[in-house]
Amino acid sequence: MRIFDPHIHMTSRTTDDYEAMYSAGVRALVEPSFWLGQPRTSVASFTDYFDSLIGWERFRAAQFGIRHHCTIALNPKEANDPRCRDVLDVLPRYLAKDGVVAVGEVGYDSMTPEEDAVFAQQLQLAVAHDLPALVHTPHRDKLAGTKRTLDVVRESGLEPGRVLVDHLNEPTVAVVADSGCWMGFSIYPDTKMDEHRMVTILREYGTDRMIVNSAADWGRSDPLKTYKTGLAMLDAGFDESDVDKVLWQNPVQFYGQSDRLVLDELPGFTPSGETFAGNSVLRGGGSGGAA
Amino acid sequence: MTAFHLGYGTNGFSNHRLDDALRLIADLGYTAVALTLDHHHLDPFADDVAERTDHVAALLERLELRCVVETGARYLLDPHRKHHPTLVSDEPERRIDFLHRAVRIAADLDADCVSFWSGIRPSDVDIDTAWRRMRTGVSMVLARASALGVRLGLEPEPGMFVEHLSDALRLREELGAPELLGITLDVGHCVAVEPEDAASCIRRAGDLLVNVQLDDMRTGVHEHLEFGEGELNLPGTLAALTEVGYSGVAAVELPRHSHAAPDVAARAITALRAALTPVLPKNDDHDAEWVSSVDHPWLVEAEQRVRTDPAAVRTLFPAVGRKVGRAPLRPESDPQGLVHGTVDDLARTRLLAALAEVLDGRALGAEVAELYRYGDDAERRGVLRGLSALPDSVVSTGLEIVRDALRANDIRLVAAAMGEFGARHLDAHSWRHGVLKCLFVGVPLAAVVELSRRIDDELLRMVADYAEERRAAGRAVPADAEKLLEVGR
Repeated sequence: MRIFDPHIHMTSRTTDDYEAMYSAGVRALVEPSFWLGQPRTSVASFTDYFDSLIGWERFRAAQFGIRHHCTIALNPKEANDPRCRDVLDVLPRYLAKDGVVAVGEVGYDSMTPEEDAVFAQQLQLAVAHDLPALVHTPHRDKLAGTKRTLDVVRESGLEPGRVLVDHLNEPTVAVVADSGCWMGFSIYPDTKMDEHRMVTILREYGTDRMIVNSAADWGRSDPLKTYKTGLAMLDAGFDESDVDKVLWQNPVQFYGQSDRLVLDELPGFTPSGETFAGNSVLRGGGSGGAA
Repeated sequence: MTAFHLGYGTNGFSNHRLDDALRLIADLGYTAVALTLDHHHLDPFADDVAERTDHVAALLERLELRCVVETGARYLLDPHRKHHPTLVSDEPERRIDFLHRAVRIAADLDADCVSFWSGIRPSDVDIDTAWRRMRTGVSMVLARASALGVRLGLEPEPGMFVEHLSDALRLREELGAPELLGITLDVGHCVAVEPEDAASCIRRAGDLLVNVQLDDMRTGVHEHLEFGEGELNLPGTLAALTEVGYSGVAAVELPRHSHAAPDVAARAITALRAALTPVLPKNDDHDAEWVSSVDHPWLVEAEQRVRTDPAAVRTLFPAVGRKVGRAPLRPESDPQGLVHGTVDDLARTRLLAALAEVLDGRALGAEVAELYRYGDDAERRGVLRGLSALPDSVVSTGLEIVRDALRANDIRLVAAAMGEFGARHLDAHSWRHGVLKCLFVGVPLAAVVELSRRIDDELLRMVADYAEERRAAGRAVPADAEKLLEVGR
């Protein structure tokens, strides 16, 4: 099984996860920029985070044979904090980068006027930079939030085929299927969606424009949920080509619209154990502490 | 790779016999020579000059060296007064006779041209008189050159009467734009005294160029320097020669480096080759022929955009890898590009060089700092590798960047930080820690530029301690560390 995890926050994960993901077949992923749990209070902490997404995390993933890409945006929750909103001014610099394959996550958290403005503005950035957009749907008041999301997408002029609406569930999937946007499902241990419900949705709606991710982050989550969904699909009678379509071809097709996906195998990749002085990931410190 | 011929001037080999100098120049890989006629190098006043010329012609043919004839010898005409007499002296006859002889020799050597300058205007000669003398003298030499079909190259020379390219072009116009009268351009002189850079001068001279002299220089200082010691943008200058379709001789002009000529000439051709390495068009076919003379069209256009709109670099710099590729320059020996860098590194260096042409020191420093600050790993590497192509005004910015990179753990950044700029500017302490870090993180020491020059006892002590620590922990000592300690022993 080859797997492209189209939504996973590796910054919050350990190298054990990278190793387990590689073993399960994950060869590429997208890490959307998002909320970090602890609210940020300045633009500088955003840019340091973005730098990590296009630099260190990309390098770290490569150590484990996984191609790392990211999406960049001001997330909806922090769009409400005036101390953070100036980050919009530096986004164009980041949207020009190699590893950045979409504008995201954008969308709604509490559906405030501030969120409206920042969402619309960032969809325009996607148009201007010729990038797709990854849209987060809210946890609370989800169906209303999803409908409003689709209205804003329509008004933006961004083609529905270039928009992925994420974190869908049974009540929200139909409106997105009708809109022409891509449908994203985050498979979680006990919230959002699980792999068996996912299989049911795939039976009902088919595999076109369907995208499955683990959305693993610092909360209770599982970076192998993509793999487990693949197994559940096989158990339910889907064949390997269906699994490959959902877990690889679909995300590649969606993010490939950026023209920035790099998917060839990492040259000379071998899991790094002894190579780097016994450190599980290159730290540079060796036995002498930080270099 | 180039349409023009890289050469070396024999005035930079004045302590060598001419035959030895020609062989050394050819052996180093130059395909041309700029032959300065002098009392010990094919003396045009010798009785047997015809036979000697035949001998040199045969040797040039055997060595496959193309040539131009230079006439800047210091004490050939007057043992007391350097360069005297000149075309603007009271009695220029001996100079004109010499130039006539040079034309004869050039014809017999099948040389591209005879290159000459005006001379310094004596303080008691007014400008009009000097100008008249130039017109008369050049006309007389032209008459002889026409008879033998030899081209002439008038060289603007700092401090001389015809000092700027514009003076030389004006004189040529006044003489009726004779076909055989072209321009010799010293690119270092452009840095020293011209109002625009060498690449612009090359474009202005265009197809009038018959001879080019290559050397580095600093603004306002007429001192011929090795490449990299001054402010010349060498890649940009050579690219301009290609751009205007120049096909003649471009010879290194380092007349004050004769004492170390073989080493200096070797360094020069290394620098020239590096500056000429073309950035190839992106090619998805990995088996494709990598050797090509084609410069990447996207890059050429990007350089032009940066020259007209420096802020464009902010969007062009991140796009480089997508446009020109990311392959290592020497994949066989350096698959990760840690030692020699990658195609995108090279392309980014060229964009930085273009930026340096149009921004002053402070603005350039700020832009470079931002490119690094907002750069991803590849862009940061590009900045690090490009620092050595930037003027001294950005050294302090460069040092901040290099120190930041040495704090990183991405081995590609660490390797790039220990390149030419780091070798030249890092203080001893930081540099030693950089070397040690390379050993720690697995950057081959081949990536550390000028390692053998900067190696010192303190570094050897640090490496010895490190090796001891590894052994105490039962771990292998990196081969590069062993090798370094061996050298130090």
